[in-house]
Parts: sequence; structure tokens; C-alpha cells
Amino acid sequence: MNKISTTEQVQRSLKKRYRAEKRFRMYGVTSIVIGLLALLLLFTEIISKGVGAFKQHYVSLEINFDADDLGLDADLFTFFDAVREDYGNKLHSELKIADQHATMAEALSEFEAQAQRDFGMTVIDALQAREQQLADANFTGIIRNSLRERFPSVKSRRDRRALYSLVSVGASFDLRDRVNADASLIGTTQKLWLLADDDLDTYVKSLNDSEPFIGRLKENQVEFISSWLEKNEIDARFNTIFFTSGDSSEPEQAGILGAVMGTFFTLLVTLILSFPVGVAAAIYLEEYATKNKFTDFIEVNINNLAAVPSVIFGLLGLAIFLNFFGMTRSVPLVGGMVLTLMTLPTIIISSRAAITSVPPSIREAALGMGASRMQTILHHVLPLAMPGMLTGAIIGMARALGETAPLLMIGMVAFIAEVPSSWNDAATVLPVQIYLWADSPERAFVERTSAAIMVLLAFLIMMNGLAIYLRKRLERRW
Amino acid sequence: MTILEATNPVDTAETAAKDTIKMKEADLNEAATESDHKTVGDCFVENPKFSVRDANVYYGDKQAVFDVSLDIGENEVIAMIGPSGCGKSTFLRCLNRMNDTIDICRVEGKIELDGMDIYDSRLDVVPLRARVGMVFQKPNPFPKSIYDNVAYGPKIHGLVSRRVDLDEIVETSLRRAGLWDEVKDRLNQPGTGLSGGQQQRLCIARTIAVSPEVILMDEPCSALDPIATARIEELIAELSENFTICIVTHSMQQAARVSKRTAYFHMGKLMEVNETQKVFTNPDHELTEAYITGRFG
Amino acid sequence: MDSLHLDQHISQQYNADLEKLRTALLEMGGLVEDQLADATRAIETADGELAEKVLKTEKKVDKFEIDIDKECTTILARRQPAASDLRLVLMVTKAIRDLERMGDEAAKIAKMALALNDDGESPRGYVELRHLAAQVGKLVNVALDAFARFDVYAAIKVVRDDKDIDIEYRSSLRELITYMMEDPRSIKRVMNIMWALRSLERIGDHARNIAEHVIYLVHGMDVRHISPSEIEKQLEKQR
Repeated sequence: MNKISTTEQVQRSLKKRYRAEKRFRMYGVTSIVIGLLALLLLFTEIISKGVGAFKQHYVSLEINFDADDLGLDADLFTFFDAVREDYGNKLHSELKIADQHATMAEALSEFEAQAQRDFGMTVIDALQAREQQLADANFTGIIRNSLRERFPSVKSRRDRRALYSLVSVGASFDLRDRVNADASLIGTTQKLWLLADDDLDTYVKSLNDSEPFIGRLKENQVEFISSWLEKNEIDARFNTIFFTSGDSSEPEQAGILGAVMGTFFTLLVTLILSFPVGVAAAIYLEEYATKNKFTDFIEVNINNLAAVPSVIFGLLGLAIFLNFFGMTRSVPLVGGMVLTLMTLPTIIISSRAAITSVPPSIREAALGMGASRMQTILHHVLPLAMPGMLTGAIIGMARALGETAPLLMIGMVAFIAEVPSSWNDAATVLPVQIYLWADSPERAFVERTSAAIMVLLAFLIMMNGLAIYLRKRLERRW
Repeated sequence: MTILEATNPVDTAETAAKDTIKMKEADLNEAATESDHKTVGDCFVENPKFSVRDANVYYGDKQAVFDVSLDIGENEVIAMIGPSGCGKSTFLRCLNRMNDTIDICRVEGKIELDGMDIYDSRLDVVPLRARVGMVFQKPNPFPKSIYDNVAYGPKIHGLVSRRVDLDEIVETSLRRAGLWDEVKDRLNQPGTGLSGGQQQRLCIARTIAVSPEVILMDEPCSALDPIATARIEELIAELSENFTICIVTHSMQQAARVSKRTAYFHMGKLMEVNETQKVFTNPDHELTEAYITGRFG
Repeated sequence: MDSLHLDQHISQQYNADLEKLRTALLEMGGLVEDQLADATRAIETADGELAEKVLKTEKKVDKFEIDIDKECTTILARRQPAASDLRLVLMVTKAIRDLERMGDEAAKIAKMALALNDDGESPRGYVELRHLAAQVGKLVNVALDAFARFDVYAAIKVVRDDKDIDIEYRSSLRELITYMMEDPRSIKRVMNIMWALRSLERIGDHARNIAEHVIYLVHGMDVRHISPSEIEKQLEKQR
């Protein structure tokens, strides 16, 4: 009797338990769904906004490379091309270096006679004259000529200026590069695709929307654009500029290469400094340091440092590296050092965790064999702890990759158009670049901001992927 | 139904008996904590390998081993038994200074290996541990290949210079550990892939590869099944021809089977050392008797 | 409480098993004691029924031997006893053998009683028989008592007293032989008494064995084939 009622009771409570169990599981599923939705929202928002930045519009124009309009001596350019063919492309850059003129002259001696005959000057002088002509050449002029020819009806100064502004300032640099590369262009007329201004670009991209974005465009400019569109003289191409150039105040010429390189050098410095220091500190604290008040104090401080707002590290860097040691402002070296300060606690903590997770039996086995402390650590502890340490380091680096605040403090927020080529060149980093672009008024920067965010996310995913790969790869191979 | 199965006195006498056990245990513990205890039996032998005099071990303020004096003879198997926390493992680890790895551990007294004080401040522990090897409770092969496991000791001690010699050491060590035939075709496979008993024999092979004089074994079979245990015990018997072996074990039958002498520890004190046969049939100390007959523990 | 602390194992069942062994042995001893008393009385009083009873009890004793033996095997296999427990189990296996032999000897005495009933009363020897039977009965009782109380001194007393019994037996033997030489016709009847005397002497020896086992049990000392004074000396040394 008693037994039966017990079973019944259990049965009854069982249903309740199952329900509770189900509810409990549902809470988890709901949380995950909410998280995924948020992520999806973020991604769609960023991608829908940013995908446009990977396309850039170009305008087709008949460009007449008239030597007189450009103020170029065609013979000089042809001569240069011949010399270059013989001497290789190094010439152009080496010419700039005054010290090498003597050796250059020697090398170019076979052209000496020709230069004297045709131009009445030494070959070096001839080449420098060409350089000067190229720099002074009025490429903007021929673009404007071409535009006037395309729209002959435009007469007034104001209208013409409106017309001119539809082609990017950067188009003239493009033409100069073409002439520099090939002298035979001079004197010919070419149909070329020239980089359009960002206002045109934004407008054309928004044509399919319910309400096209006109922005700063004037009525007549819209007419010009319509005329081009009718004749298929506007084309969208892949935006290589975005990936190959540094920042610019003109959106159509702005790229992220500068920020990417800045990020690369900054993280390189951070990695080189923080990983060895962090691992060494972790090994000492775990394997050598005796447990006492002092090491406890250090441990508490390391844990605290990991939670300190990053802007404070920036202030520290400003005070120590810039003001006290007088290091250069805005360079990846200092940025990397500041980020090192910020990443170190993370790396130390994760490395210590990795070292502690190495089974003590392995350590005992090695010591019992008569291995020294160092042999034990190098032969057994480190190989086993390495995946954990690397994962920690990469996660620390990923955090450093996304950091803006400390870098603002040490001047890495400056507008830097040139792509840095070493860790001692002024540079900015991706998140700062995003911050700068997000602050810019031009509509075209909005999509570039989102595109830069996509690049940053891609980097983060790559680094985290690398962390997972390394962990899988190095984790106890058997 | 035999005459003997007539009654079941367990139920009736249980509570009363438990009380007496508690009282008895208290008495025994009191007896053990008396300060001026003296080890009974034969602590000393002629020409000892290890000679321990008045060893005291402290973990911080807590004393773990009290005034232990004991000789361990050459090529002798000595078993150390006693309840958990009686200090037998701690004592064992004093013999090759494995306790050095614990910061708060302090050893007093004199421990001599062939007349050399191993706690001399000038002594380097590395050669000491090469002479006094250790096998642990849990089989702990390195996460490397079987070959590398055995070759590790000779490598770090620089015992060999040529690969051929190393190969030979690896083979003889594995042979002596009775593992060669089982692993000779897969020396490059991970040592952690072996079964528990094989792993423990691999650890023994690794230990004997550096030709130690003494092998300390800290409950080497506690994680193994009876068959693997029997193999290890057989191995101990073979190794005892060439090595001095100190074995700590919780299995009294094992102590009885493998050892020549048995030492009984209780609450950090060495209560009795005697010939194993004597300890297991007629121990001198009442605490030894109580322990080996399962009267407390 | 006994000095071997048989009831203080962690395992209550183990305590119970050992206790069961001890009581069973004592029970068996009691049976043998009864057999001995009954058999001698059967001769003295020429009571055939009593003699038959002794022979019947013999079966019970044999069953005890087998059961206790089995129990000992079980304990050895299951508990792997050590030290005093081991000695107890070993001692019990040996002691039951001795008790069983004692039972056999008592049965022999009973058979002699039946033979005397058939052949007619012996002219001599009853006094000696009564005397020796009283001594042996006491010896067996003390030996079992020594086991019950793990009393080494009682055990030594048994070993010592067994010597007296041997002397007594030999003098009775001489007396009866002298009588038989004087009166050869009574040889057959006197021989029955002599066999009974001899059985009593054997029972004394077995009691001595049990006492020696008790000394082994308590002190782990093998005292077989050693004189009582030597035993005492060794015990003194161990202390």
C-alpha cells in the first residue's frame, strides 16, 4: 500500500519535474536566440551599409593629352622611356637621391651623347627636367577641357565649376601616373574612365532607392549626371583605392591600407613585447616564486590591472613614453608599448592558468628523473601549456586590436594620409580610423566606416580562428 | 543450515561494539601521541644503503614525521605501511628530496645514502635523484613517445653520446621492466596510449634507464587492476636483485608479498620495523597488530 | 574482554565470524568433554546405553569439525586475516583436528565399555581408570578454558600436567601388566581397560596440543616439543 502511493507520488512529481526541466532548457535556448538575433542585426546593418563602399563609380571622358596644354616636352619623355627600358624601373626612385648622381651618370654614360645632342644638357639634368615638367603639368586643365567639350552648352563660371567638381581631384593624379608610365600618350586623345567625385558616387548608388540621395548636388549637376548615365558614360568598378591607399579628406580617395599597416605594426610591437614578458612573468610566478605576502600583492595587482579602463593606460603612455622619455608621437612603436601594458595582465593571467593546468604528475615525473627546474619547465611544462598561452595571447591581441581609447591619448588619432612603412612612422589604427570616419560629415564616409568595420571584424575572426587552430594543433598531440 | 549460521549477532551487538571501537581507537591514538615513543623491532642493519637518524619533517608549523630512525639495506625490498596521513609517503619523498618541491616543507635529522648526507647544503639534488629514482602512484608517462619516455633520463644526464647506445639502453630498460615484447613494434607511439599497467611499467623502465641504486615507489599499484598489479609485483621481485626498493603501499597483502622487511608508520611515527613474515603473523606493536588486522584505519 | 580484541574490527561481520568460530570450537570442546565423561562412566558402571550415546555423539563432533573447517576456509579466502586473526584461524583448524581425535579416543573407550560388557568385568584397573579419567577430564577442561579466556598460564599448566598424566599412565600400565602376568586368564578383559587407559593418555596429549595452540595464538610463539619451563623462559624473554 505504502509502496504504491510512493510510486504514484513520484509519478506525479515526475511530470512537474519534466516541465521544470523543459522550461529550464527553454531559458537557455531563448538567450542564445536573442544573442544570435543581436549578432545578425549587427551584421546585416553593417554589411548593408558597408557593402556599397566596395564599389566606386567612374566617369568616361575623352582626354586629349595635348603637349602644349600640359606643358610637356614629348621628346624628353620618350627619351626617358628608352633610358628606363634600359636601366630598369629603379631609375625613377634613385634619381631623387642627389648623392647617387655620380654613379648614375656613369651608368647612363651611353645616353650622354644623345642627351647632349637632343636637349643640350647632361642626361641627369634631362631626367630631372622631365621630373619637374611632370610635377608642374596641368592635368586638371586637360580634364576640364574634356569636360567642357563633353558639355559645350555650359558657359557660366558657376556652372562650369559645378561640372568640374563632379570629377574627383584624384583623377589628375591618375592621369599623371599614366603619362609617367607611358610617354606615347602625349599628343594623343584617349577615352578614359576617371574617378568620380563622392557626391556623384553616392547619388548614383542611391538611384535605385525610393528617394535618391542628392545631398550637396545642385540641379544642373544632376542633369549632367543623367546625361552621362544615358550614354552609359558612368560605370561602377571594384573599389581598389579603398584597399590600396591611406586616409584622405576626399572620400573617393580614402582607403584603409594606412590604418591596416598601422594596426599591423602596432600589434607586432605589442606581440613582440607582451608575449615573452607575459610568459616569463607567468613562469616565474607559477614555478619559482614562493608564496608570500609580496607575491600575493603582485597577483592582486595583476588581476586589478586587467580590469583597469584602457584609457588610463593611454594616459600612462602619454605621461611616460611621450612626456618623460620624449618618444615620437603617433607612432606604432609607442602605440604598441601602451597596448603591451594593457595586454600584459591578460597574457600573464591566461599563461598562469595554462601552466597551472599542466598536471603536477608530469612535473613530479620530470623532477623525479633528476631533471632540473629549468629542464622540467622547458621540456614538459611549456609544451603542454603552450596552446593555452597562445590562445590567451591571441585573445589579448584581439582585444588590443579593437582598442581605441589608449591610442587617442598618445596621438594616434591624427589624420595620416601616408601609408606607414615602419613602426616609427606616424600611423593610425583601424578602430581609430573607424572613429575618424564615423565623425566625418560626408555621406560617402558612412559606407566606408561600415566597410572598415567589416575589415576589422574580418581581422578579429581571423585572429580568433587562428587561436582555435593553434589550440587544436598544439593541444597534447596524443 | 550449519550449526555455525545459527545467529546473526551483527544487528544486536552493533551499536555497543561501535562504541567500544571508538573508545579503543581513542586509546590507540593516545598511545601513539605519547611523546617518548620508541620504535620496536629491528631498525638497523649491517652496511645500510640508506641510514636515517631522527628524521623530523614539518609542513609549515605542522609536523608530519617524528623522529624516524631506520636503516635500509642494500638490495632489500622494504615496505612502508600505515593509515592515510601517517607520514609514510612524506618519509619516502625525503629519501630523494622530492619534498624540496614543496615550499613549506622542512626536513631535520640525518639521512645518509652510502654514508653521504643527502641534506648537505652543498649537495646537488640532480645526481641524487639520478641515484634514487622514483615511481609514483598515478602512472605519469610524459606525453611523448614510448622511446622518448625511456630515453629522457639518459639524455638529460648525458649518459650516452651515440644513438646506438641510447637505443640499447631503451631496449634493456624496457626488457627489464617486462614491457619490451609488448611495445617493441610501436616505440614511436605515445606512452600515454598504453594501458594503466603498461604505463606504470613504462614509468619503471624510465626510472631504471638511468641505472639508479635505489627505487622509491609511492603506491605504484593503487591505480591498477589485480593482473597489472601482479605483473608489477613480479617485476619488483626481479628488480630486487639489483636495486634497493622502498615501496609505500596501502595494500597489506602487497607489502606481505613483495617485501623483505616492513615498516609500520602511525601518525608520523615509525612504530615498528620487522621482517615481513613476523609483522604479518605476530607483530610486536599493538598498533601494527590493530592496523594489519583491520581493527582501525 | 579478551586480550586479542577479536571484537574490534572495523567490519562488524568479521567480528561476528571470528566470534562464531570461537564459540563453535568451545561448543565442540564441550561435546568432547561430555563424551569423555560418559565413556569413562560407561566403563565404571558397565552402562551399555551410555556407551551407545557416546558413539552417537561422535557423529556430531565430526560434523562440527567439517563445519568449522569450512568456516575457517571461508574466512581465509574472504578476509585474508593477518597477525592474531590469522593465528586464531590457523589455531582453530589445528585444534578441531585434536578435538576430533579426542572424540575418536572417547568413542574407543565407549567401545571398550561395550567389550567389557560382552567379555565380563575386569578384575583390576577400575581405580586407575577413574583416577586417570578424572585427571584427563580436568586437563581437557583447563585446555578449553585456556582457549576460551586466551589464558597462557592455564595453557602452560596443561602442558605441565600432561607430563604427570603420562607418568600416571605408565605406572598404571606397569601395575596391570604385572597383574596379567600373575593371572593370564584375565588378559583379555584387562587389555580392554588398558586400551581405555591408553585412549585417556592420548586424549591428554591432544589437550596438551590444544594448550600449545593457545600459546601460539596469544604470543605467536611455536612451543611444540619444548618443555614447560623452557616455554616459561621464552615467554619471560618476550615480555
